[in-house]
Amino acid sequence: MRHDARGDGERGAALAAALIALAVSAALVAGLTDVVRTEVILARDRRAMLTALAAADACIAQYLATLPFGWELDALLLGPDGVRGTPDDGTIATPPGCTGSVARAPGPADPAHVLLGIDAAARGGRRLVDAVVGRDHVAATPGLLWVTLPPSPDAISGTMTLDGADADPASPDLPGLAAPAAPLDLDTWLAAEGPHITATPHTAAPVRALPPPLAELATRAEAAAPGGAELLAPQGAPSSPPVLALVRGDLVVPDARQGSGLLIVEGALDIRGSLDFTGVVVAAGGVQIAGGATLGVAGALWLGTPGPSAPLAVAGRLALRQSRAAIAAADGLLALPRRAILRGVRDVG
Amino acid sequence: MRGGAQGGSVLVEQLVGTMLTLLVLGTLVSVVGTGTTLLLAAAARGEVEDTAQLAVEAFTFDVRRAGYDPTAAGLAPVGEARTDRLTLVADLNGDGVVAATSEETTAYACAAPQLSRIIGRQSLPLAGGVLACGLRYLDAGGLPLAIPAGGLDATGRSRIRAIALDLTIRQRGTPTSRSVVVALRSTP
Repeated sequence: MRHDARGDGERGAALAAALIALAVSAALVAGLTDVVRTEVILARDRRAMLTALAAADACIAQYLATLPFGWELDALLLGPDGVRGTPDDGTIATPPGCTGSVARAPGPADPAHVLLGIDAAARGGRRLVDAVVGRDHVAATPGLLWVTLPPSPDAISGTMTLDGADADPASPDLPGLAAPAAPLDLDTWLAAEGPHITATPHTAAPVRALPPPLAELATRAEAAAPGGAELLAPQGAPSSPPVLALVRGDLVVPDARQGSGLLIVEGALDIRGSLDFTGVVVAAGGVQIAGGATLGVAGALWLGTPGPSAPLAVAGRLALRQSRAAIAAADGLLALPRRAILRGVRDVG
Repeated sequence: MRGGAQGGSVLVEQLVGTMLTLLVLGTLVSVVGTGTTLLLAAAARGEVEDTAQLAVEAFTFDVRRAGYDPTAAGLAPVGEARTDRLTLVADLNGDGVVAATSEETTAYACAAPQLSRIIGRQSLPLAGGVLACGLRYLDAGGLPLAIPAGGLDATGRSRIRAIALDLTIRQRGTPTSRSVVVALRSTP
């Protein structure tokens, strides 16, 4: 009997010890679980917030990429119908995953700027962001050759040389070609032209770019009292300061000419001799270079849609070289179009 | 004799039982102690990671909105740029003026043993136990700008396109580090 009594007491102590140990362990596990659960919730919320912020940034960047090159931003305030005072004023088309609107920004109209409101949602997070959109302070130069349509096959039967390096080594290299087409298609065109095109190692790969606003540029040039083709001097003449020249219709260059500044040709530019230009050459009707003829541009060449003929037909030689200083000088004669850029952002909530 | 033998046997049994009990209790205490240590370490780790992450998020938040200038008044986003101190400005209410006493002027004082976020004139400690803290400034090419002893001048600050914060803190236990590079959203 005494043995049984002692045995019962031992079993009772062991049970109590086991229960205490179990309770303490359970409390520890519960505490640890609570700590981990809290951390997981916080991390999930933070990730959702950061994902939504990234989505808002991406939405703004994608929207800006759809805005045409230009000077003002007032057209954005008018909405899709382009008419002021209608219910769709300020409405914009945004990428999937976000919505937005545009409103007039406070302050003076110059420099051009508007307020962009973006509501972005992604992976459980949602952020409201206000952004200030303005125009870049430097002229748009997406490529040495900027065209409204991709060049047609066999456009270069002569030679075209591209040098994207600027005299200032700090300046970034410029793409050889910018056009509203997929970069892969532009690469394919360059490859198909084969030995007819030579690009220096400092020439960046072709890029997709919205077309240059050539019609509005010509309209602005008209208002700036430009000169005409007579401003192109014979080659070898003393260098003259940069000028703004506007040619209404086609321009044929039968001999050797030179010039600098901004040359705008509302029709086609037909090179039968040679033209050496420092600045920006704009040919709304495209460029034709006859066999044996030469067009050299230190700056940029912008080409429009010529209609039935090809925008670029080079039987002779076309040489393009980057010159930021020449583009800046042209911009000083007549403000060139700018890209729309983000000027600031504020998280609303 | 039989009773005496029984008494000796009981003593031995008691001693053995006590030894076994101590052994079991010792094991239990050790296990519980390890669990407690793990819990405390996990909590401390979580806390220090929280602190570091919150500091980085606050920094990111402030750099993102630096230079917000809806009136196009020509606001420079960075008012002061040193390796241990940064001042960011933004016209958050769109009145064309940056208030020095509101969150429109936000500074970071970054030096061991503390990282502080200064809103207007109010200093808020973001992280204690700072072992290392530094600010870097990157230009448009992503290259770090050389920072003179007195900080970047206005020309140098105008070249800033991104700001980096490198932070190492230890509050209890293992230190943790964060490096974050945040691009300015205000293109000049």
